[in-house]
Amino acid sequence: MIQQEINQDRAMTNEDLIALSPLLTIAATSVALMLVIAFRRDRMTALVCALVGIALAIAMLPVAATRAPRQITPLLILDQYAIFYLGLLFVAGFVVASLAHGYLCEHEGQPEEFYLALLLATSGGAALVMSDHFASFFLGLELLSVSLYVLIAYPRARAHSVEAGIKYLILAAASAAFLLFGMALIYAELGTMEFARIGVETAGAVRPELLLIGQGMIFVGIGFKLAVVPFHVWAPDVYEGAPAPVTAFVATVSKGAVFALLVRYFANLGSESFNLFFPALAVIAVASMFVGNLLALAQNNVKRILAYSSIAHFGYLLVAFLAGGSLGATAAAFYLVAYIVTSLMAFGVVTVLSDRREAEEMEDYRGLFWRRPGIATIFLAALLSLGGIPLTAGFMGKFYVLVAGLGSALWLLALMLVVNTMIGFYYYLRLAFMMFRDAPEGGAVSFATPSLSFMSAAALAGLTLLMVWMGVYPGPIINTIRTMVAGLIP
Amino acid sequence: MASVPTEYGLLLAGALFVLGLIGVLVRRNIVFILMSLEIMLNAAGLAFVTAGARWAQADGQVMYLFILSMAAAEVAVGLALVLKLYHQFKTLDADAASRMHG
Repeated sequence: MIQQEINQDRAMTNEDLIALSPLLTIAATSVALMLVIAFRRDRMTALVCALVGIALAIAMLPVAATRAPRQITPLLILDQYAIFYLGLLFVAGFVVASLAHGYLCEHEGQPEEFYLALLLATSGGAALVMSDHFASFFLGLELLSVSLYVLIAYPRARAHSVEAGIKYLILAAASAAFLLFGMALIYAELGTMEFARIGVETAGAVRPELLLIGQGMIFVGIGFKLAVVPFHVWAPDVYEGAPAPVTAFVATVSKGAVFALLVRYFANLGSESFNLFFPALAVIAVASMFVGNLLALAQNNVKRILAYSSIAHFGYLLVAFLAGGSLGATAAAFYLVAYIVTSLMAFGVVTVLSDRREAEEMEDYRGLFWRRPGIATIFLAALLSLGGIPLTAGFMGKFYVLVAGLGSALWLLALMLVVNTMIGFYYYLRLAFMMFRDAPEGGAVSFATPSLSFMSAAALAGLTLLMVWMGVYPGPIINTIRTMVAGLIP
Repeated sequence: MASVPTEYGLLLAGALFVLGLIGVLVRRNIVFILMSLEIMLNAAGLAFVTAGARWAQADGQVMYLFILSMAAAEVAVGLALVLKLYHQFKTLDADAASRMHG
């Protein structure tokens, strides 16, 4: 018996280390960067260090893929699913770091630690998508959260940023406490913290009500990170207060990693728990769509509009999640990729237009097309994709979600999705038309036009190409997603 | 050694958790909000220790150590932000420092 225990908790082998190499690379880079900053404080060095680290981690993915699927200690698992999301998070992290460079050059102060916190947050997200144990789930989530507090409040001179940082900290810590208490209740009832064994042993629980409370509290923690209604109150303030590149990070990497974990968690729990939570999740999905879209109508701040829009988008994503099965998971993954690419474009444009002041007011975008046609075109493409106009990634994403929803006979949810897409058009197009209006009379454009750094331009152009490619010819990405989902949900 | 029943431990942890939550919701001073958050996190830690004792595993205590170190990291960042907030707003009142609306 004891021998068996020891075998089960065996020490890590070289094979395990190879499988872990992407995560190890990111973690090692953050330590290295910390040392580099101690000896040589230079923004270019820090940026290059961060970019090389993330690129190395991406290069390690094919190497790690040769060892997949592999359980690495009881805490982490490396399978096709994890590799796919690791790639997505790393690429998003790379783009955010590139965009942040130009933005930070416009601000005084020391930008080096920004990249350090960015690397740590990315490694937290990476740990999340690999975790299949409560301990790694919690550690990944907290690594992500604590780094985000620092990133959100990074421009210390900006009152809004400090306020947003505190708000996020208080709410994130409270939701982490909910999450932990829920985990403790489930552990108290089942005696295990591994996702797979929780799924197996749920059926034999003596007090199912304790489990139900526990799962509910865990969902509070997850729902907060995804900013779905009713856990969405922080999103507009944090989106507005955080520096634009960090807003991009919160909207993409943080939410994407937690959503990937949610899908894995429920795939392990099995269909009984899924059916138990179905009504609650359906209400959350519908409420998120309506609240997000309706509140976005009344906003004049572009970052707040995008915040409410992202609440609505996670409502759409939950529809795909609720459709269940491999079709639902495929649709959800495709939608998430489309959403991340498009959001990075939209926040990327806000980032490159910001100087000392954030380019967040509607008026800042008046006549943008006549002043900066290139950037305006990219922003227009992002808005059309967020709205779901054909030939964009957002349209294909919505199409797959709709097919998955109808395939599982979720008529009402599918109808809500269509209605909400219509509402969404209104505010996306309002913003789009703003860019074609004439510049205000007198030519007194109060708006400085910071120069576009090469890296931001390359990142935005790459994202736009990717977005159009996904909208016109989604076949290859869909096939990749199908194979990776097949490993998780047979 | 007679052990404490699991239910008692979980009930105590639950009571602590609710007290902390009430503190977060009712208190307006940010330092007190942070303290209430600590109570919530420690309640979760106590629940983990109780659960670990029920199954005679070390996992519960390991989780408690994780929670402890995470709470320390969180409070370190939290207090730094509170300092900045005080410099900017000259107040620790959470409502007075809330400027973003809409």
